[in-house]
Amino acid sequence: MMNGWELVIGIEIHAQVKSNSKLFSSSSTDFGSGPNSQVSLVDAAMPGMLPVINKFCVEQAVRSGIGLNAKINNKSIFDRKNYFYQDLPQGYQISQFKDPIVGNGFIDIVLDDQTKRIGIERLHLEQDAGKSLHDQDPNLTFVDLNRSGIALMEIVSNPDMSSADEAVEYVKKVRSILRYLDTCDGNMEQGSLRADVNVSVNKPGDELGTRCEIKNLNSFKYIHSAIIYEAKRQVKSIESGERIHQETRLYNIDSGETRSMRSKEDAHDYRYFPDPDLLPLEIEDKWIEEIKSTIPELPDQKKNRFIKDYNLSEYDAGVIVSDKATSDYYEKVVKNRGPKLVTTWVTSELFSILNKKNLTIDESPVSHDKLGELIDNIESGKVSNRLAKDIFEEMCETGKSPSDIISEKGLSQISDEGELEKLVDDVLLANPENIEKYKKGKDKLFGFFVGEAMKLSKGKANPKLLNELLKSKLNT
Amino acid sequence: MEFDKDSLLKLGKLSKIKIDENKLSSLSSDLGSILKFIDRLQSIETDNVDPTSNSLDQSLVMRDDIALDENSAAEILENAPEKELDFFSVPKVIE
Amino acid sequence: MKAGLNLIEASELLANNETSSVELTKFYLDNINKGEELNCYNTVSSEEALKAAESSDKRRKEEKSKSRFDGIPIGIKDLFCTKNIKTTASSKILSSFVPTYESTASQNCINAGLISLGKLNCDEFAMGSTNKTSYFGSVINPWKSKNSEANLVPGGSSGGSAAAVAADLCIASLGTDTGGSIRQPASFTGTVGLKPTYGRVSRWGIVAFASSLDQAGPITKTVEDSAALFEIISGHDSKDSTSSIKQKENFYDNLNSSVKGMKIGVPKEFKSDNLSASTQKAWDDCKKLLQENGAELIDISLPHTMDALPTYYIIAPAEASSNLARYDGVKYGIRENGKNLIEMYEETRSIGFGDEVKRRILIGTYVLSSGYYDAYYIKAQKVRSLIKSDFNEAFKRVDAILTPSTPSTAFEIKNEPKDPVQTYLNDIFTVPVNLAGIPAISVPFANDENNLPIGLQLITNSFEEQKLLNIAKNVQDTINYAPNLDKWWIK
Ligand SMILES: [Mg+2]
Ligand SMILES: [Zn+2]
Repeated sequence: MMNGWELVIGIEIHAQVKSNSKLFSSSSTDFGSGPNSQVSLVDAAMPGMLPVINKFCVEQAVRSGIGLNAKINNKSIFDRKNYFYQDLPQGYQISQFKDPIVGNGFIDIVLDDQTKRIGIERLHLEQDAGKSLHDQDPNLTFVDLNRSGIALMEIVSNPDMSSADEAVEYVKKVRSILRYLDTCDGNMEQGSLRADVNVSVNKPGDELGTRCEIKNLNSFKYIHSAIIYEAKRQVKSIESGERIHQETRLYNIDSGETRSMRSKEDAHDYRYFPDPDLLPLEIEDKWIEEIKSTIPELPDQKKNRFIKDYNLSEYDAGVIVSDKATSDYYEKVVKNRGPKLVTTWVTSELFSILNKKNLTIDESPVSHDKLGELIDNIESGKVSNRLAKDIFEEMCETGKSPSDIISEKGLSQISDEGELEKLVDDVLLANPENIEKYKKGKDKLFGFFVGEAMKLSKGKANPKLLNELLKSKLNT
Repeated sequence: MEFDKDSLLKLGKLSKIKIDENKLSSLSSDLGSILKFIDRLQSIETDNVDPTSNSLDQSLVMRDDIALDENSAAEILENAPEKELDFFSVPKVIE
Repeated sequence: MKAGLNLIEASELLANNETSSVELTKFYLDNINKGEELNCYNTVSSEEALKAAESSDKRRKEEKSKSRFDGIPIGIKDLFCTKNIKTTASSKILSSFVPTYESTASQNCINAGLISLGKLNCDEFAMGSTNKTSYFGSVINPWKSKNSEANLVPGGSSGGSAAAVAADLCIASLGTDTGGSIRQPASFTGTVGLKPTYGRVSRWGIVAFASSLDQAGPITKTVEDSAALFEIISGHDSKDSTSSIKQKENFYDNLNSSVKGMKIGVPKEFKSDNLSASTQKAWDDCKKLLQENGAELIDISLPHTMDALPTYYIIAPAEASSNLARYDGVKYGIRENGKNLIEMYEETRSIGFGDEVKRRILIGTYVLSSGYYDAYYIKAQKVRSLIKSDFNEAFKRVDAILTPSTPSTAFEIKNEPKDPVQTYLNDIFTVPVNLAGIPAISVPFANDENNLPIGLQLITNSFEEQKLLNIAKNVQDTINYAPNLDKWWIK
């Protein structure tokens, strides 16, 4: 709520289906090569070309629907959405209007330890458009149809969100679920997942305000700031006596502002009607059940299990499961090891290095085996926690295994009693005054002796044994 | 029966067909005549009738997800009235 | 070379080495040349045809013929995309388009060894019943009224396909039928025209007019040829989602002309005042004939017959308005300059499309637009269900339905009515069949008092083309209709 205004947000997420070929044609979905190189006759809307649906894309939509706790419709219809645009070769987009493949569902988001349920209105399949390049020529726009026809899942939420933070959490959660299901790679920078955000403001108790749609936001940061900007803009307009017009707006990432989209000014009338080139899509319960049986553990379930099995805090569990790869990494490391130590290492040391280097967990310089090995060395007392941090740093730099680093640098912990005794004796011999003070009751000096002995051992002394030995020598 | 001229111009905008001023009149009378003809359906009782959008009684056949590399950019662009490099080109669009 | 050869005769001549494919092809290319005035062909592909004929002769010598029809020249409506051969849909907007691909139906012909002589003129985007909407000008019907020199329409939209077969500018041809576009011109030219069950022939690679109605079929000189060519072009195609998964049948080998015990329905709604006396007489004569041959006549009712045409003129333009959106000057076809994208679209489409096409796009846009969708488009789809169920009811009682193909015979080109709706009435008897998706055939039955051919239409239930062809053959064999066509265009 801002200055007595309520914010109402609904989100349409466009998620590209992770498939080899396009929704209605056999051309490839990866664009390594040049412009218009992954374009079939169907994608280019050549005369007489007809769509044939990709079964895998249907399956992925069903899978995603199940992951969003949604109803899978046994019969759905493909419609044509008619409009002219340079990136839309057919002059219509094949989409689903009245009868989508997936109906009502929901997901739960957690914000400030509060769980909130966000309703999903529907998920439908549709074709992606081509890409336009506006900056290659002063007088021309260039069109590349490589993306044209790739399968999109459009996931439409109810207008259940009331802050930019909730909106971001919602998109994060949907993205996380799709990545768990492996139906969309969720790569927002590359545009495989993008959000259209509908924002309106109203006074508490009043009816909903007129909404504006901000199109194609492809990062959490942009979603957040676009909503904040747009809400303020609407409030300011209304407070200065203007009316909000329902319109499509674009977010400018440089200025952080939203502006009306000029090319969409024409009043549009999409003239949806069932695509006569396609028959109704029928999905039998048997197939839905088969797909259900292959659904992996999803973030919410996993979080509960982690809390229960590994005694994780709600917060740590939430962070670890939000990304499937992270949770997989965590589980591999935690296997047969103490969860507390593993959690600390993953959430603090590992996350901080990944953050610093701007890497994903898949790109981590330290593999799960190597981190596990390091933790084993800590658990067995071979290296101290402090030393382990140095080793970890070196692992990140060089990619070497912890045992290699330990043996190369002779970093193995000194646990040999004779060796330790010699260390302790050397320290005591060098500090007779401090021994005097200690014995007179200055207990704090115990730490000084430990520190000196550690220094002398170059950090390798087994702290527990060192403590015991010092204590017994000083107290006699 | 004449088809309303403003509506006709609006239809032209929607379907991206420029309607010449000098054809407006004949076109609106043609469309009016067609409209009158199809209006005949309004009197038919269809309350409990399901619509048919395709007469073929079959459910949608699906294909396997196999990517084929069938067309080069050159082939796709072969008939393009204007192209630049390997792109289709159109008058500059301002979003 | 004997004039007026049909597919079966030509295949026998080839089999007996009495002619070669090259000889046949040259003969027809020569006929095309002589018949230029008829304006049947948009493109004649002489070189490609002769090359294909040579290959065919070579195959025959090596006993590697692709089928018994290998080497026979046919014509193809300019709506089928043909690889490396211009395909225009008789529209200015596509006047420069050369596909890099071959439609499934025409590819099936190539696979059987048939040779394409070229692309046949038609109404622009198959929208018309006179062939006058073609950007390349009207096709002229080879038939003339007894006491007049006036040029007559060949019917449409497959006017070139029908006229070319009638005038012997090819042995047989491919057409398409969305609301009667094969049967009506067949009726106007004394040829046999088959509109198969929707889904029998792949639509892949055929320029779309109205996707839920379009169906390709043969126009031929005889019912046997119709069966043979239909067999060649039909069959499931995984590239067309509306292609029937039913197995291909051997329509030609299974021809059996007996109608004994068959029940033939005669719908009372087709008796209209618009029906010419001679057409009415031909219809009555045919009923009698079928009865004499052992069939039983049954009066039936198809109550929504008169609602079919307005239904069609909502559904077909609606689908067309969307199907033709792709012609926007970007990917292929002509482009007219505009100072921005929208103006480029509007100029290109305004100049590229003819009047009838524009009318239909506008009407189609209207019936789909918000506020009118339910009243027109959904209403029409519901009436379509009623029309289909009329036929379903009828086929519970009868094997086939007999009607005239058209209310009248061919009329003068210059006599086309001002009001487009008057022209639409040509298709009043053919359109219900497309809406129901069922097969029908037009067979020439007699000539009227002006010596112009009258066609009668037989209709069966979905996928019962064999029965349809059998009854048509019975009629053909009984009447032995011989077109006494004067080849006035050969000077
Ligand atoms: Mg949307
Ligand atoms: Zn969408």
